[in-house]
Amino acid sequence: MSWPAILASLAIVTLGGGLSVIVVLKRLAFIGQGVSHAAFGGVGIALVVGLSGATMASTIGQGAVIIAFSIAAALWIAALSKRSAGGSDTAIGVVLAVSMAIGFILVQIASERFEAAHEGHDHSLEGMAHHEDSHHAMEEILFGDVLSVTPNRALVAIGASVVILAIAWAMRRKLLFWAFDEPVCGAFGVRTDRVQRAFLIMLALSIVVAMQMAGVVLASAIFVLPGAAALNLTGRLRPAFALSVAIAIIGAIGGMLVGSGAGMPIGPSIVGVQGVLYAISFAYGRVLK
Amino acid sequence: MMNPMPDPSYQPAQAPAIEVDGVSYSYPATGIGEQGVEALQRISMLVEPGARLGILGPNGGGKSTLIKLMLGLLKPTSGTIRVFGVSPKQARLEGLIGYLPQRIEAQRAWPLSVRQVVGLPIACRLKPWQRLGSEHNAAIDRAIEMVGLTELDARPVGALSGGQLQRTMIARAIAGGPKLLVLDEPMVGVDVAGQQRFAELINTLHRELGLTTVVVTHDLRAIAAVADRVACLARTLHFHDAPEGLTPQVLADVFAHDVAGVLGDVHVDAHLAEDCADPSHTLTDPGCCGHDHGGDNR
Repeated sequence: MSWPAILASLAIVTLGGGLSVIVVLKRLAFIGQGVSHAAFGGVGIALVVGLSGATMASTIGQGAVIIAFSIAAALWIAALSKRSAGGSDTAIGVVLAVSMAIGFILVQIASERFEAAHEGHDHSLEGMAHHEDSHHAMEEILFGDVLSVTPNRALVAIGASVVILAIAWAMRRKLLFWAFDEPVCGAFGVRTDRVQRAFLIMLALSIVVAMQMAGVVLASAIFVLPGAAALNLTGRLRPAFALSVAIAIIGAIGGMLVGSGAGMPIGPSIVGVQGVLYAISFAYGRVLK
Repeated sequence: MMNPMPDPSYQPAQAPAIEVDGVSYSYPATGIGEQGVEALQRISMLVEPGARLGILGPNGGGKSTLIKLMLGLLKPTSGTIRVFGVSPKQARLEGLIGYLPQRIEAQRAWPLSVRQVVGLPIACRLKPWQRLGSEHNAAIDRAIEMVGLTELDARPVGALSGGQLQRTMIARAIAGGPKLLVLDEPMVGVDVAGQQRFAELINTLHRELGLTTVVVTHDLRAIAAVADRVACLARTLHFHDAPEGLTPQVLADVFAHDVAGVLGDVHVDAHLAEDCADPSHTLTDPGCCGHDHGGDNR
């Protein structure tokens, strides 16, 4: 693994460690799933309009489309869960499924278009390579690929992590009050809707950043597991945040070591090790009680 | 006592705590083919600073809606509400209102202590880089002391009994130094002895902090102990006076109106219906209001 990839991974899991405590306490884990899968719809749209990420400009364009799509999905979920009778689980179920469907259809259309454009070269080595590429690309979208992180992308990931963490820190008290007692904090002068929107946008951005590493399927895990593990171990607030960040970083380092040692994909390895830490914390929490 | 004309020389020394003027509110329709529900119809009332108001009414009578309007969480469909001379939203953002919710929906599994919960409203008004100062901590200490939880102040809220949790929430409501304390159905599921202690606590807070208090309840027994004046609410305001004036006839009418409304056969005593239609009826207690006031002439 390259240093940029390592540093980017550590920045993203630190962000995950911080946000996951709120995600777990506010029961937003499933919203994270909805957002990351919605991002897949964004990937499809980006590919269909020709933003394949081959050049710098198209990488930026692709990122913008995915981010816009993810934020829209997060806010859509929030709006739906306010109005519809089923609440947020129905809203997430709808948005997640529809976005995945759109994503698969559009990615399919994009790759057919790509193959049509290269007709005649299909049996050439180049064509085979492209075919391999598109399979690999799909896998990368779904499960991430830390090894493909370029220094520029790493810089963007680190910068985004720092900025989001800083905003979350600045909003920490309002976020806490909102997450602890949403129906009432409005009566105490907290602008509930704004806080909710801000947090969902931060979460959506974080997940998009994390997708590079862990993909659509696993990105939201790093915004759930550390916080869930930490809350198994402590009933106090500051220790919960500190433990969550520690578990996130230990999990990431462990995952990178295991992944590169055993030649396994890094993103899933990190999530796997964090999962093991969660299981240990769960067992230990039972013993504590 | 009732004066249909406003006194032009009258200048309020202090803005009324709550001024409700011809307020109606309808909830929006919730589905295709359904109509919005009118929860409140032309409510007018005036609450002076330092008053203890009880709002009594049947379930579905619009009590919680009126509270949400006072807190600025809903906007009236028509009419205006002022709280200490400013809009409810402004009053809320300035921390003038303390609120005890009907059902405590706070996450009890949270890793927060009594002290942290009580301090949340104060902490939320700080700039991100500021920390709770000694005057904030003193205010939090005092609020916790007033509700009698000093010894439990480090305890996680999840480990509290229902009554202790409610007192924590009262401390949270007063810690920020509000001028108005709104309590939504605070005595549901509390036994008679508990109600008595609760009333004593509210009256102590009212006296020592110079608060205006509004207690909403559907429990008739509970209201006299915490209110100088009672407003009876069943979509319209049926009565607004001292609790002693609350006759069986008035109550029968307020609560029967609700039943009749459900059955689609609205049957309101003619005399009372007339009173309800006249907003000046809402101000009949000179001992509390200090002046006569033509409700619909502003």
